[in-house]
Order: sequence, then C-alpha cells, then structure tokens
Amino acid sequence: MNTATLLIVFFAACGAGILLSTAVRPAHQGLVLAWLGSLAAVAAVAAGARVLLTGEVFTQPLWSLPGLTTLTLRLDGLSAAFVLIAGLVLLPASIYAGGELRSASFRGHERPFTVMLLVLYVSVVLILIAGDALLFLLAWEVMSILCYLLVVTSPDREDGQLGSAYLLLAMGEAGTLAAALGFLVLALGASSLEFHALKSGASALGASARWGVFLLTFFGFGVKAGLVPVNSWLQPAYAAAPRAFAPVLAGATLNLGLYGILRVNADLLPATLAGTGLITLVVGTASALLGILYATTDNDLKAVLAHSSIENVGIVVAGFGAGMVFVATNHPMLAAIAFVAALYHMINHSLYKALLFFGVGAVETQSGTRDMDRLGGLIKWMPLTALGFLAGTLSIAALPPFNGFVSEWLTLQVMLRSAELSSTGAKIVFALCGAGLALTAALAVTCFVKVFAMSFLGMRRSDDGRRVAEAAPATLASMAILATLCLAFGVLPTYVIPMLDPASTQLARASASDALVPPFFASAQGHGALPEQFAGEFHDLGAQLGQAVLPGRGLVVLHRGGTENPVVFAMSTSYMLLALIGLLLLSYVVIRLWLTRGRRLARRERWDGGVRRLLPEMTYTATGFSNPVRVIFDAIFRPTTVEDTRETVAEHFRMAIRREKERVHVVDRLVFRPVRSATLWFAHALAAMHHGRINAYVTYAFVALLIVFAVLPMS
Amino acid sequence: MSQWVIKGIRTGIKTTAYPRGAENAAGITPGLPRGGSFGTGAAALIERCLTHALDRTDGEISVNSRRCVHCYRCVRGVEQPLNWETTYEWAGAGGVPPLTNELGRPFRRSIHVLVVDAGDCGACLNEVKQLNNPYYNMHRLGFFITPTPRHADVLLVVGPVTDQMRFALKKVYDAMPTPKRVVAVGACALSGGVFAKSFVCANGVADVLPVDVEVPGNPPPPLAILHGLLVAVGRKPPSQTPAPAGHAPAAAAR
Repeated sequence: MNTATLLIVFFAACGAGILLSTAVRPAHQGLVLAWLGSLAAVAAVAAGARVLLTGEVFTQPLWSLPGLTTLTLRLDGLSAAFVLIAGLVLLPASIYAGGELRSASFRGHERPFTVMLLVLYVSVVLILIAGDALLFLLAWEVMSILCYLLVVTSPDREDGQLGSAYLLLAMGEAGTLAAALGFLVLALGASSLEFHALKSGASALGASARWGVFLLTFFGFGVKAGLVPVNSWLQPAYAAAPRAFAPVLAGATLNLGLYGILRVNADLLPATLAGTGLITLVVGTASALLGILYATTDNDLKAVLAHSSIENVGIVVAGFGAGMVFVATNHPMLAAIAFVAALYHMINHSLYKALLFFGVGAVETQSGTRDMDRLGGLIKWMPLTALGFLAGTLSIAALPPFNGFVSEWLTLQVMLRSAELSSTGAKIVFALCGAGLALTAALAVTCFVKVFAMSFLGMRRSDDGRRVAEAAPATLASMAILATLCLAFGVLPTYVIPMLDPASTQLARASASDALVPPFFASAQGHGALPEQFAGEFHDLGAQLGQAVLPGRGLVVLHRGGTENPVVFAMSTSYMLLALIGLLLLSYVVIRLWLTRGRRLARRERWDGGVRRLLPEMTYTATGFSNPVRVIFDAIFRPTTVEDTRETVAEHFRMAIRREKERVHVVDRLVFRPVRSATLWFAHALAAMHHGRINAYVTYAFVALLIVFAVLPMS
Repeated sequence: MSQWVIKGIRTGIKTTAYPRGAENAAGITPGLPRGGSFGTGAAALIERCLTHALDRTDGEISVNSRRCVHCYRCVRGVEQPLNWETTYEWAGAGGVPPLTNELGRPFRRSIHVLVVDAGDCGACLNEVKQLNNPYYNMHRLGFFITPTPRHADVLLVVGPVTDQMRFALKKVYDAMPTPKRVVAVGACALSGGVFAKSFVCANGVADVLPVDVEVPGNPPPPLAILHGLLVAVGRKPPSQTPAPAGHAPAAAAR
C-alpha cells in the first residue's frame, strides 16, 4: 500500500469511528474506540514507517486559496518520524481507553469522549502532515480545544479541575498566538504560506527577524511541550486529565510542541545563529533539571509523571539545541547525531510515559489513590501490572537494556562532542548543560526507584480495606505492547537510528546512518565503508556476530573520529543484553553450584529490627525517601511554612508538633506570580480612570482628539 | 593543624600488647575469687556471698563465677579472705553440647559482631564500648561491630534478657546467617546476676539462646571480652574459670 492509501485508511478509520459512535449504544463505545482507534494508529505507524524506510516524500495539494496559500498535505522525513511515534502511542492508548470506557465512572460520558478522542487523533495527524502554515494552525487550534474539552469532561471530577483545564486552554492559546505571530514574521519574505515557500523565503530574513521568529515559536510551541518557563499548565492538567486521556496527552500531544519547534527553527528556518541553539540548549537543560527535581520530591504518581515529562522534554530540547548549534557552526555530522539522539529520546519518552500512565491508571483504579505514602505492596496483588510498570521505570531511569539508556547515552555523548566547537563560550555552555543533564539522569534513577518501590514493594500502607486485583485485560494488553516496544527500542538501536535518519538528514543536511551504525554486517571482511584495519579490529572483537541471522547493518552504535581518534564512542545494547544474560546465568551457576554447594538453605523472616509486629507506619515512606533531595535543593524549592505549632503541657512536655509547608513551583514563584500581580496592578491603575462621570469621559475624548491632531501633522 | 601527626608519632603505640603478650597495667582487671580448700569460716564466707556464687563441694569452696559480681565481700572485712586471682583470660566455653566455640578458619581473622543490649544496666555495655577505643582497639584483630544481624557472625549479648527483649533476641538470632556464635557477657547474661530469675527477666541468655562463649564478670573488663571474642573465633583456648555447665552448683543455691 502506498502512503496515500495508508493515510486514507487512517482518516477513514477515525471517521468511521466517529460515525459509529453516534450510532451504537454507550456500552459498546469502548469497542468502537479500541478497534477503530487502533486500526487508525496502525495505519499511521505504517504510513510513517513507509516514508522513513523508502524515503519517498508524500505531497498532496488539497485546496487552493488564491493569494494566501494552498492547503497541502505533506509527509516528509520529519513528519513521518512524528507520525510514527504518534501511531505507536495511539495504538495502545486506544485499547486502554476502550477498556477504561467500560468502567462505571465513565457512565454517561462514553459517546462524547469517543468522538472527541477520535477527532483529536485526526487533528494530531493533520498537524504533523500539514504542508502549509494555515492548515497547521487550524489543526493546532482544533487540537488545543479538544485537549481542553477532554480534560473538562473527565468523569471523576476533582477539586480545581476546571481551573487546571482552563489554565491549559489559556496558556495553550497564548502559545498558539505567539506561534502564529512567528509564522507571520516568517511569511514576510514568502510568496505563500506553504512550507516550501516559507522555506525559500526564509533565507531573505535578517538576523532580528530570525531572532523574532525563534523566540515567538520557541516559547509559543514550548507551551505545548511543557518547557520551563511556560510549563505551569502541565502538571495540573495531567493530574486533572481522565485516566484514559492522560497517556495521549503525554505520549502524543506533547510531541506536537516539539514538532512545531523543530519544523520552524530547524527545518523552515535553518539555524544560522548559534545563539538560538544555545538558548534552546539552556532552556532544555533547565527544564530537565527542574522537572526531575519536582518529580523526585512529589508523592502524587500523576504529578511525578507530569514533572518527569517536563524533564524528558527538556532532554529532547537540549538535544535539539545541540543540533542547532552544530548546524549553525557548520558541523553537519554532529548535528545529525544530535537530532537523532533527541528524536530517539522523544520516541522513548512517548513510549514509556504512556506505559507508566497506563500503570498509574491501573493503580488508581484498583487502590483508589495516587498518593505514594498510601500505596505500597501492590506487586502481591497485581504482579503483571507491576512487571509492565517496572519495564517503564527501568526505561525512564535510563537503565540498560531498556530504551531510555540508548537515547540518554547518545545525548550525553553529543554534549561531549562540543570539543569540536571553536567558541569557548559555547563550549562552557555545553559543558554546564552536559553536567546538568548528567545530574538529571542520576536524579531520574532516584525518582523512579522511589516510584516503583513505594507503590509496588514493601507493605501496603493504606488500611482502607479495599480489595486490590490485577488490572483489566485491556490495560494489561496495552502495557504489554509498550513494554515490548521499550525493550525492543533499547536492544535494537541500530535498527531505530537508520529509521530516524531521514528526519535528521532533513534538519542537518547530513546523514548520521553511516556515522553511527557502521555496516559490520555488510560483509565478513573488508566492509566497503570502513577502513580495512579498523573493521578487522572490530571483527576480532566480534562486532559481526549475528550477521547470519539478522538483516541490517550491525548491532554496534559507533562513532568514528579522525585518524588520531578512531573511535569516539561505541556501545551495543544488543551485545550488552547477551552479556547480561550470560552474567546472570554465570552468577546463578557460581552461587548455586559452587559457592553454596553442600550448604543448607534456611529461610527466615525478614529483619525488621526485632519488633513484635512490623506495621506499615514503621516502614520507609515516599517522603522520607526523597527528603535528601528536598534538603539539598532547598534553595530552589523554598517552601513556605503554613503551620508551625506545638502543643505543650505545663510548658515543658511536648504533646505534638505540627509543621506544614507549602511549595510553589519555582517558575510560578519567579515568573507567573510577578507577571500576574503586575498585570493586576496595571489593570487597577487603568480602572481608576473609569469612575463613571460623564464629564470625565468627554474630557478623555477631547484629550485624545487633541493628541491625534498634534500627532497627525508630524507623520 | 598537623600537630596531631607529630603528637601521634611522639606518643607511639599505646595499644595493649594483648593478645600477643600479657597486659600488666594496674587496674586492668578487678579479678575473680578463686576457690580452694578452706578451713574454718567457710560457712560464714558462703553466707557472706549475696549472690550465692560460693558453695562447698568435697570440703572445698567452689566459686561459680557466673554469679560473682566482684563485691569483695569474701575478701574484705573477713579474717581469712578467699583467694583472689587478678587475671582476665577467663572467658569459658558455654554449655552447648557439643563444644562448638570455633567458627572455623575463614572467621579467624575477621568477624562482625552484633551487640545486643538485653536489659543491661549499662556497665557491661560500657566495657564493650571500650573495645573500640585506641587502647583496646578491636579492629586490629579483625573484629568489627555491625548494626544488622544479616552481616553478623557473632552475637554479643549483655544483660539478663528482660521479658521485653526476649522476643527481639530470638528474632535477632534467627536473622543471623549460619555459622553463628553467641557470646554472653557479664554475670547477668550468664545467670541473671543480681536480677536473677524474676517476674521481668530470664535467668540469663542461656534460657533463650544456646550460648557458645561465656564471659563472667560484673562487668567484665574489656580484655576479658576481647578474650571471649578470641575464644569464639578459636584464636585462644577457653579457660576453665566458669565451670562447664552441669557442674555448676547454680541450681543448688537457689
């Protein structure tokens, strides 16, 4: 099937789903959503993969608006990568949402939810395959409004839900406005709003216009991506979103912001100013660091995932920034590697974040809470969910052999390649950002050790007597799909990197395929693309192992430098997995057959300090686990004390000490609250003019007239 | 800043020579009464012993050092004092048949000791604490204190095992990996001491756990405890000071 057919299948499946859902009974809405939604997702995956594998760009003009633009569908390498990711997430998300729709809490909301979710699918794909700014912005608006509606129609209403949904809408719209302005600046030199026209017209733009476009679109689209300092909507919106919608929000719509940033600042307007790249890099690193700090110290599972989304988007954007700097400083190969790393991380984030949201949804459904201080020990009752969740946490903590490791490793390697830059200032920025990202990676491990351990291990802390059981089959199936993908993307990076190559080639104008995945499988010896001696050495190491059974280039990710530094970095999670399995078996053999031979195995109770009965209250809490981080980074958190009282008897005997602290996100504290109070102050100052006396208004009109008469002759 | 280096070099090594040589410093041990043949006044002496540590067997006064609290009532204020020995190598093998006071070769040079306070008055615990100071310095012998039973090879118990600690002590012992040894330190841990069997405590550690090494004394000096640990790892032979269990006239006294 060609790309057009696949896209038609996608739109037809979504349309059929919308029509069917208006016809069938509410009880069957879940089936409609699950089957037609996943069919559409499969079509999207196929379309994206087809363009990425064949390299054929699909272009289809739709409708000509004379003097403005031609509405065009265009699926090039960059769009295809994003469509592929969106499809990969929407497939399990449809199955999961289909299952969720059957739950009692959704009663009465099934039909609008199905229709809106399917329209959202259409708008997401339309944004990605729009070939002109007008269609792009139209689809973007539809997507923004649907996100708001889907959050608002949540069946399980919580306090402040409307407020957070409204914040999502308001900030989203402000971002859209900024991005639209950016497009207008971009269109100054272009003949029409089609992307290819914008691209050819962009070369005429001066530096100030370029900076304007960058700032407007970077922060405009950054709202949807959740970048610091425009991330305030993200955490409340994720917390308020229905369980069935949160995975889509995190896995699919978040990427649209990244797509917008890339499309405008790396594709339409190729980076010629290193400064834009450096700002991107710094903002990305700041987002990553702040995101993970707040994720580590939060105890609400959904909030942790939301903050960690900010972190992951930060890592991706830092990769984009590195790529933009390398493009601007004319290092196309390094830029290609940076973009590959960033796109790879974006795929990974979508996969494991959706997986974790499924898990959190299952936990919340079963135990009725998301507070880690009240969870615990769930692995006993929901082992399969725990297994899927563990795969997600290992991936997000960037531990091999799961996917997060590959992309974070590549990103950090890219940061180290800043040695190639000539400017010392840029080098310093890269070094600091690299250190920030490394710290982020370390904190991410802390964070997700906490998330998994506090929810699934240990003792159950809640004593509400609820019966907890394994999650629904639909949830387990969707988790299984994503867990498998997480493992596959981690073990087989050498197949993913060439797949992403068309996208990064489009941005960097150089192919990273040969630079990252040398063809060790190409032939037994010689390797046309590799120097003979070099290939021979790797042949001796066994880099060609597996060539008889596997197609492709090889299983080693390796970057070659010049003659004096033949291997800059090299890694193979595929062989690492084999080695890990081998070591595991070996250690089993050593321990069971050799070290403990002839010894009796004794099983005793766990050591609990010798207490008579270990109570859940005595065990480690989530708050306690993350307290060191809270203490170390107190300067950033700056909690304000809400309550600090002590009850005493006869002055000396303390009965109780109560201390409660409240945290306001550092971005809210430093950016939004000042802006809000300044705006309110300004509004109050203006409102002083409006006291309702007609004489005053006549005077205002007269003064305005005088000013007009005074100014007019001058111009 | 670096004064302590010079001072340290000037001071030299002050750590006790034990176990390589004998330690003869004054006041290093309170000593224990030694029995023996005794003429008239034996009954009065036995009467003077408040903890019933003295008994008469075969015309001789025998001393049950598990009970002795070094009150010196058998030495001071009497016309014919009992013999008093001022040694400190008095840790003996416990009454676990068969005698299993050796952990085996791998443990001779390195053991981890878990100290459990099973209702101790603080005296024995204080002497145990001295093992960590520069003078006794148990680390040089490869003995280390650990807070968790999972890492412990030797369980060192002080105190008569109060009822509140009985369960915890059992749990600690169960939580230790084999091979493991129990060292009971102090008269209370060996026999209940001045607390003896009462409504709040047991008659010593042996009521709860099999004791491998017994260190008498109330409190025993640090060197005696060190000797006990050395006995536990098999680097010193056990002394015969606390008579082997079964020979003890403890039951008769009560």
